[in-house]
Amino acid sequence: MSNQKKRNFQIEAFKHRVVVDPKYAEKTWKILEHAIHEIYNHNASGLSFEELYRNAYNMVLHKFGEKLYSGLVTTMTAHLKEISKSIEAAQGDLFLEELNRKWNDHNKALQMIRDILMYMDRTYIPNSRKTPVYELGLNLWRDNIIHSGKIQSRLLSTLLELVHRERTGEVIDRGLMRNTIKMLMDLGSSVYQDDFEKPFLEVSAEFYKVESQKFIECCDCGDYLKKAEIRLNEEIERIAHYLDVKSEAKITNVVEKEMIANHMTRLVHMENSGLVNMLLDDKYEDLGRMYNLFKRVPNGLSMIRDVMTSHLRETGKQLVTDAESSKDPVEFVQRLLDERDKYDKIICQAFSNAKTFQNALNSSFEYFINLNSRSPEFISLFVDDKLRKGLKGVSEEDVEIILDKVMMLFRYLQEKDVFEKYYKQHLAKRLLSGKTVSDDAERSLIVKLKTECGYQFTSKLEGMFTDMKTSQDTMQGFYANHIELAEGPTLVVQVLTTGSWPTQPTITCNLPTEMAALCEKFRSHYLGTHTGRRLSWQTNMGTADIKATFGKGQKHELNVSTYQMCVLMLFNNADRLSYKEIEQATEIPASDLKRCLQSMACVKGKNVLRKEPMSKDIGTDDAFFVNDKFTSKFYKVKIGTVVAQKESEPEKLETRQRVEEDRKPQIEAAIVRIMKSRRVLDHNNVIAEVTKQLQSRFLANPTEIKKRIESLIEREFLERDSDDRKLYRYLA
Amino acid sequence: MGIQKDIVKFNVGGRIFQTTATTLANAGRDSFFGALFDDNWDLRQHQPNSSQEFFIDRNPDCFAVLLDLLRTGDLYIPSNVPERLLYREAMFYGLIDHVRSAKWGPFDGNRLKLSRSVTGRAPGDGTAIRAGPDGGCCVAHGSMVHVFDWTLEEHPPINLDYQRVNDIGWVNAENVLISACERLGKGDGGMGLFNSSTGDLRHKFNVVHDNQTKSYTAGALSFSPDYKIFASCKGRSNEYGIGVWDQVTGKQMDFFYESPGWSLGDADKLQWLNGSNCLLVATLFPRKDNCYISLLDFREKRMVWSWSDIGALLTVDEKRVRDAIAMEECNSICVVNEYDDLGFIDLRINGGSVRWSSRSRLLKGKMPDEPCYPKLALHNGQLFSSMNDCISVFCGPDWVLTSRLRRSYGGSICDFSIGGDRLFALHSEENVFDAWETPSPPII
Repeated sequence: MSNQKKRNFQIEAFKHRVVVDPKYAEKTWKILEHAIHEIYNHNASGLSFEELYRNAYNMVLHKFGEKLYSGLVTTMTAHLKEISKSIEAAQGDLFLEELNRKWNDHNKALQMIRDILMYMDRTYIPNSRKTPVYELGLNLWRDNIIHSGKIQSRLLSTLLELVHRERTGEVIDRGLMRNTIKMLMDLGSSVYQDDFEKPFLEVSAEFYKVESQKFIECCDCGDYLKKAEIRLNEEIERIAHYLDVKSEAKITNVVEKEMIANHMTRLVHMENSGLVNMLLDDKYEDLGRMYNLFKRVPNGLSMIRDVMTSHLRETGKQLVTDAESSKDPVEFVQRLLDERDKYDKIICQAFSNAKTFQNALNSSFEYFINLNSRSPEFISLFVDDKLRKGLKGVSEEDVEIILDKVMMLFRYLQEKDVFEKYYKQHLAKRLLSGKTVSDDAERSLIVKLKTECGYQFTSKLEGMFTDMKTSQDTMQGFYANHIELAEGPTLVVQVLTTGSWPTQPTITCNLPTEMAALCEKFRSHYLGTHTGRRLSWQTNMGTADIKATFGKGQKHELNVSTYQMCVLMLFNNADRLSYKEIEQATEIPASDLKRCLQSMACVKGKNVLRKEPMSKDIGTDDAFFVNDKFTSKFYKVKIGTVVAQKESEPEKLETRQRVEEDRKPQIEAAIVRIMKSRRVLDHNNVIAEVTKQLQSRFLANPTEIKKRIESLIEREFLERDSDDRKLYRYLA
Repeated sequence: MGIQKDIVKFNVGGRIFQTTATTLANAGRDSFFGALFDDNWDLRQHQPNSSQEFFIDRNPDCFAVLLDLLRTGDLYIPSNVPERLLYREAMFYGLIDHVRSAKWGPFDGNRLKLSRSVTGRAPGDGTAIRAGPDGGCCVAHGSMVHVFDWTLEEHPPINLDYQRVNDIGWVNAENVLISACERLGKGDGGMGLFNSSTGDLRHKFNVVHDNQTKSYTAGALSFSPDYKIFASCKGRSNEYGIGVWDQVTGKQMDFFYESPGWSLGDADKLQWLNGSNCLLVATLFPRKDNCYISLLDFREKRMVWSWSDIGALLTVDEKRVRDAIAMEECNSICVVNEYDDLGFIDLRINGGSVRWSSRSRLLKGKMPDEPCYPKLALHNGQLFSSMNDCISVFCGPDWVLTSRLRRSYGGSICDFSIGGDRLFALHSEENVFDAWETPSPPII
C-alpha cells in the first residue's frame, strides 16, 4: 500500500531523448541485408560502398551493433545453406570443382562484407568479445558446408580417392586438390587434421601395408628398397604439391613404418640378396639406399650394424684361423688390409662415413685379429717385407699410406709388446744387413709408433738407429787412425748397445786369422777411445764380401754371412773338408752351421760348394769341396742364409716366454704405482686397474697379475689386510 | 600535360576535394579508403566520367585534416577543429591509428613537452599511475582505478570489490590488471583482469596453497614477455611470497614462498629481468624497518642475488633506500633515497654495498609539507627519478642530470610511469596527472 502511495508522488525524470525513427534500425538493416544478398548473387556493381559503410557505422553508433551482428550471422547462414545444396547437387567429378568455386565466391563475398562492416569489426566486436567478421565467415562455412552431413563424407572420400588414383599412376588435377586442401587449412589446422589428415594417414597405412606385402613376396632386397625409396619420394613430393608441410613427417612416418620397419628383419636376412650378399658383392648403391632408408626408422641402423659386425667377425675369424693363410705372413696381412679397405670403402660410400659404423668395424677387427696369437709377428713381418723390398719404386706418399694402414692394424692388437719384440728383431736384421730400403720410411714408422704408444715404446728402436750412426763415425775414426790398414781386408764394425738390440748370448766363432787380427786392432782402438766398455763379438749377425776365384778362372764377389765367410776361408787351405772338421775349426753352433752350409751347397745357382753325398739336408758325415764349375751370370753373387722367415715352433715358444718374462716387471710396476696412490684396494679393483693401465701395451692375464701380487707380498711391498683377506695394503 | 589517371574527386559534405589514389593508399587496406579502392569495390568503375565526384556524407573540415595527414604524414589540427571531433571522424575512416602515431614523436626524456594535465575527482591521495602500451594510462586512487585512452578520454572506472588498490598494470592495450587488498572472510580482493575500454571484469586470479584456494592480498605486479604475471602475495596463514600466473590461461603456475627473515610478500616493487631470466623483488623502508632487495630464479626456485641494509650503521640512517630499479646493461641496481641521492649496487657481487653518488643531491633543505617518496624509472638508457614536484632525467654512463620536468600545480609527484612514448606523472594533491610527450620532429 505504502509503495503505491509513494509512486503517486514520483516525479518523472526529465527525458532529453532525441526521437529517432523507431524503425530506423530495421530500415538500415534491410538495406545492408539486401546488399549482402546482392554480393552473394554477384550483383554488387549496383551498390554504393560509401552508403553501406555509413549505414553500418550508424547502426553501431546508435547501439544497434548486436542487431547488426546477429543479422549478419542469420543472413550468411541462410546463404551458406543454399550453397550447401548446390554443392550437394553437383554430380561426380564436378563436386570438387563446385565446392572450390563456391569457396572462392564465399571468400570474395566475405571480404566485401567485412569492408562494409569494418567499423563494427573495429569497435563493437572487440568490446563485446565476439568473433570478427572474417573469422565468423570461415566458421560458418565450416559448420554449414564442410561439416554438413552429406558433404563431409563425400569430400573426404573424393580426396582420398584422388590420392589413391595418383598412387596407382593416374594423373589427377593437382591444382584443384591444392585449392581444396588449402581451404581446409584456412579453416583452421584442426579442420585439416580431423577432416583430412587423420583418415589420409590411416588409408595410406593400409595401402602401404598391402603393397609392401606384395613387393616383399616377389622382389629381392635391392629392388624392394628401390621401390620403397620411390614411394617415399613420391609422398614427399605430394606434400610439396598439395598438402600441408606439417604432414610431411607424419606421412613419411607411415611409409617408413609400413614399408621398412615392419619388414626390416626379413629384408636384411633375405636369401641371396640380403645385407650379407650386398656386402660380399660391394653393392654400394644398394647399401647406401638401405642405410638411408633404415636410418629413418628406430633400430634400423643398429640392425644393419649388428648384421655387418657379425658377418665381418665371421669372415675375419675364418681369415685369421685359416691354416692356409698363416703360411705366408705377408699374404695374411695383405688380406687383412684388403678386408679393411673393402669395409672402409663401404662405410665411406654407402654408410655416409657414420661414426658408429666405423666403431663397429674397428671392434670387429680388434676381435678377430687377436684370435690368432701370431698376428703381432705377422704384422711385423709384413712391415719387414715392405721395408726390405716392397717399397722400391713406390712414391713417398704411397709408403705413408701403407704404413698408416699397418698402424691401423697395429692399433687393433692387444699384445703390442709382442709386436714390439718382433719388430725389434726384424729391424735389427734389416739394419745390420743393410737391407733397409728407405731410412725415411723406417723413421716415419717409428714416429707413428711413438705417437701411438709413447716414448717408452720406441726409445730402444731409436737407440738402434743411433747406434748405426755412431758406428759409422767410429769406423771412420778407426781407419783415419790406422792408415796402414787401407790395404787388406776392410772391417766394418757396428757397435750395438746392449739392451737396445735383441742380442742373444752366443759363442763367438773362430774367425779367420786375418780377420781376428783386424778385430783385435779395432778392439784396442775402441776401448782406447771409450773407457769402461766391453766389446763382445756377435758373429752370428755379420756379413762379409769376399772375392773368390773358381777352377776355370771365374772370378766372383760373394756376399755371405760371417759364418759362411769363416767356412769358405777354410777352403783356401784345403780342397775337401768334412762336416766335423769344419765344425771343429770354426766352432759355429751346429744349427747355424747346418743352415749356412745348406745355403752354400744345396741352393741352385748359389752352390759355391759341392757336397757328398748330394742331398737336400746336411748330415754330420757329409764332406764338402769347392765347386769349381760354379757359374753365375752376375759378378756379384749374394748367398743368402736359409732363414726361416717365420719363426719355427720352438723359436716362437721362446719369444713368447721372453715376452712373458718382460711383462712381469711391467705388471709389478703397475701394481706398485696403483697401490702407492690408493694405499688400500681390494683384489678385483687391482686387477681392473692394472688391466686398464697396461691395455695400451698388452692384455694382462689376471692369474699372472695375481702371481705378481703374491710376489710383491713376499717382498713386502704389499700386505694383506688382517680382517679382509681380499684387501691389499701398500707398505711404504 | 597528360591527364593523370589516378586523380580522385570527392564531395565531402558539400566540399569538393581532389586527391590521388596513391595518397589514399597510405591509409592501408584496413580503412575506409583501402576498401573503397579494392578491386571488389573499385570506385573508378562507378565513376567512369572523371568529372563526377564521389560523395561522402561526413564533415569536410575534418576530412581536410585527415587528407593532409595522409598526404604528409603530419598531423596539424586547426583551432576550429576540436580534437574530439577529429578523433571521431578518424574512427569513421579507420584512420585513428594514423592520427595517434602522428600525434607525438618517439620518446626522448630530454625533449619532453607537457601535453595536457587532467584533473581527477577522486578523494584522497593517488596510489599509482601506469602508462599503457598505446599512450593511454590508468590511475589508482584508493579502491578505484580510472582508465584513460590515448586521447585522454576517460573510460568507465574499474574496481575490484571496492578493495584498496595496491598496484595496477597493463597486460596489453585492451587489458588492465588490478591487485588489491583482500576483504576478510569474503574471498574478495586479490587480483583481477579488466577490459580497459568497457571496464568489464574478465578474470579473477586465484591462489592455491596445498590444493586449497585461499584469499589473499596482492601487492606489486610485474609481467614477463613469455606471458607470465608476477605478484607479491600475502595470505592469512603466513602464505607470503611471489605468485606466478599464466596470462593466457589465467591459472596459477608457481609460488615462491618467502623464507624466514626475508621479505617477499610485502614487496613494493617487482621487475622482470629478461636477460638474466630473474625477477627483482624489493621491499623497502618504511613498509618494513629494513630494505630487502633480491633476485629470484624461478626455474631453480632459488634466490640468486640479495642485498639488505640489516645491520647497517646508524650514521647512514638518512640514506634509506626508497626505490630500486635493476639496470641489466650496467649489471647494477640503482636505488634512491629520500633526498634524491642515487646509489648503485653491483649485481655481480652478492652482498655488496651501496655506492652513493652525491652529485645528484641537489634539493636538500627545501622540503614540502607533504613529501612523497621518490620513484625511479628506466627507459631506453635514460634514468628518471621523481622528487617532490619534479622529475629528473639522467643520461650517459655516469648518469649525469640532463633535464628536469616540473609543474607547480598539483603538489608533489607520488608516482610516474613511462610507456606508449609518453610519460605520466601523478600529483598527490588535487588528483592531477600530467601527460608529457615528445613533439614531432621539426619540419626544417
